[in-house]
Amino acid sequence: VLDVADPPAPQTRPAPRFDASRFDALFRRFYPDLYGLAYRLLGNRGAAEDTLQETFVRLSRADALLERPDAEVGAWLRRVCLNLGANRLRDERRARERLTRAGRLDLAAAQSDLGAPASLLLRAEERAGVRRTLARLPARQRDCLLLRHSGYSYAEIADTLGVAIGSVGVLLARAEQAFRDHYQEDSSS
Amino acid sequence: MTPTPAETCPDAGQWRAWLDDGPGRADARLARHASACAACQHTLEQVRENALFARESLQPLGPARPPTEAEIATARARLDDPAEPAAPVRLPAAASSRPAARFGQRWRAAAAGVAAAVALTGALLTPQGAALASQFLAQFRSEQLAVVEVSPQSQQAIQQTFQTLSNLGTVEHPQGMPTRGAAREASQASVSLQEASRRVGFQVTELAPGDVPAGLQPTPRISVFPGGTIRFRLDAAKARAYYQARGQNVNVPAKFDGAALVVNMPAAALLSYQSADPNSHQELVLGQAGEVTVGTEGNVSLDEMRAFLLDLPGLPADTVAQLKALKDWHTTLPIPVPVDKVQWQARGIETKGGKSYQGLLLNDNSGVGSAAIVQANGRIYGWAGSMKARDLLDVIKRTDVGSR
Repeated sequence: VLDVADPPAPQTRPAPRFDASRFDALFRRFYPDLYGLAYRLLGNRGAAEDTLQETFVRLSRADALLERPDAEVGAWLRRVCLNLGANRLRDERRARERLTRAGRLDLAAAQSDLGAPASLLLRAEERAGVRRTLARLPARQRDCLLLRHSGYSYAEIADTLGVAIGSVGVLLARAEQAFRDHYQEDSSS
Repeated sequence: MTPTPAETCPDAGQWRAWLDDGPGRADARLARHASACAACQHTLEQVRENALFARESLQPLGPARPPTEAEIATARARLDDPAEPAAPVRLPAAASSRPAARFGQRWRAAAAGVAAAVALTGALLTPQGAALASQFLAQFRSEQLAVVEVSPQSQQAIQQTFQTLSNLGTVEHPQGMPTRGAAREASQASVSLQEASRRVGFQVTELAPGDVPAGLQPTPRISVFPGGTIRFRLDAAKARAYYQARGQNVNVPAKFDGAALVVNMPAAALLSYQSADPNSHQELVLGQAGEVTVGTEGNVSLDEMRAFLLDLPGLPADTVAQLKALKDWHTTLPIPVPVDKVQWQARGIETKGGKSYQGLLLNDNSGVGSAAIVQANGRIYGWAGSMKARDLLDVIKRTDVGSR
């Protein structure tokens, strides 16, 4: 039998407290909105689900956090989700860059979907363009945009990004200006 | 009408928040100011346009629908799923209600690898008949890992199919790619840690003497498997003639003529910690390598070459199905796992400093050996040893995989 159990905790260490019902409640409350957030960032269901899985695995390890108010846990989950998603995007981008640099990846061919109708391809290309532009923004601006346009309130955005609620407006305004500038720059190039 | 000199113009952030507040809650002073200040009217208009532009641009990024109750329940259940059907896993009872720190069925379903060509090229490089550790370590090539389950029958079919490649074109091993014999020979030569680092192109890590399991010598024997480039160049006429002679109908489009699949294999360092007792077979091997790159030369894309190779007659249908199911096949290296000999599990694997990486844990069915592979910081690390999986995981927790 494949034995992958972690080594038993030393006798002196108290057994971890894990409140399964609290975890379940948090999962059901936050999963749907986090799914929307992760999907916007990553662009596909599988990546979003994987990212959320890792996010909640981390929550399960944070016993002390489970005892905190929902709003605090929600902010933490959004932060972890955005960080994990950004890491995933970064790793994917680096992988593509390496292959492209080596002349080993025909990106145009790789990203095309030859079986799809032209209208779907166009929309897919537009979404890809938006995500490319988002990737050019500073992380905080990108996260602010994604959070706001996923429907989160200024208070929730402030808690997630660790900024004062009064700063969210200016962060958002700058993010939207930068997004528009970069997008138009990308489109005209 | 203009604002009084004492009235400071709100900044763009305040206007942005004011837009989101809605008419019912918006600050009346800002409304008055907006109606009186031409500069702010301009700012407000710009902020409004930017917000609208962002909203319209980002709106299509959202999912077509929110997850259903059933999908949420499935996602929740996956966190709890402690065992994979083909890899029975025993978890301590105390942890049974805590979500497992690893990816479950999705990872596994997606865990079915890279292009078949890469998998099978990797398989060709595996020294046949080597020890368990060597079998595992010979496959430390990728930047993202996935499992392709293979049975003895499918292994044989894959091997035979790829042996026919030379009938379809030429298989070139230029630029120092060793033959199996040469690779084995190279692995016999011991080098310093510094030399190994130089050859693989990054700082090779070793276990601190105190972290080496009891019974093993603290100083490893270090060897390096050289990397290199393999080219499989297709000859359309040769391929057509081959299949016609065998009565098989295989379409070889003209544009494939002269096209090549190019696989760059990285050099790999192997640190072998051996028993002080010459009669003991106890051993721990730590392998480290860079990443594989794969591509094409000629008029075909990598996608087309992959599709062509996957459609070659003779490849087992279940292997092809696993490979075709890959989502991120451009960056995922399949690890062929013989399910009759090895159990596997995709999971988070913790290294020194509490850093956890997604990887594969493998265990041979005899219970005498285990191995783990992770992709970390752009490199592949593998551990294999004559020990139980839990003991191997302990060793891994003491291994510093460094940073990029």
